[in-house]
Amino acid sequence: MSDKNNKIPFNEDNYTHNIERNNERKLDRRGFMKTLVGAAGVFAVSSLPWGAVAAKELMGLGEKEYPHKKITEVSNLPIGDAVEFKFPGDHDDAILIRLSENKYVAYQNACTHLRCPVFWVKEQGEMICPCHHGKFDVETGAPTAGPPRRPLPEIQVKVENGSIYAVRVKRYEA
Amino acid sequence: MKRKYLGVIILAAILMMNIVFTQYMVHQYYYENYENVLIFGGLNIVLFPLAVFAYKKTINMRA
Repeated sequence: MSDKNNKIPFNEDNYTHNIERNNERKLDRRGFMKTLVGAAGVFAVSSLPWGAVAAKELMGLGEKEYPHKKITEVSNLPIGDAVEFKFPGDHDDAILIRLSENKYVAYQNACTHLRCPVFWVKEQGEMICPCHHGKFDVETGAPTAGPPRRPLPEIQVKVENGSIYAVRVKRYEA
Repeated sequence: MKRKYLGVIILAAILMMNIVFTQYMVHQYYYENYENVLIFGGLNIVLFPLAVFAYKKTINMRA
């Protein structure tokens, strides 16, 4: 405390000389309201990234289309057989299964539990992860047994002139 | 000393709306209704200047 106000009559330059500023007004109404306004500001700022990702989805940037990649020839893949390939990157393992004459399914075959490669067991009609015996439904990629809880990401395929192409990875749907 | 708590009440209401809108926004994001995300995010942002305005309007109300 400076003693500039110790003269009599003292030169009053504020109206708070009778208040112990350190503690007395620690949480008065004004301070509380400032906190509330600050909290509203935090909410406003924190909703910005959500708006940004939503706008990104709306503009269709999330639906990324990779260059079409030839997997194999239809004639090389008998009904019920599977072939492994890489899509979209060179290190993203995937598997294509021919279920019937015109029905193909393809998934990224890294198990959604610990990313072991899932393979196709023709005799049992199931996709099995060898590490912990996780099983996936071949029609949808949904997990049916074992530790995995999330479906395999599906890859859209296209048949053109006797060749099978990978088109895009479907969005993950919860 | 008599006090008016109108400002506090208004700000608390704004904060409540903030919470509700944020909850909506996040849920609508996961339901993939991205237009609604933008609407509620915008409302959340609009509430902040509103809160500042309410603070300035009510701070000098005495007795």
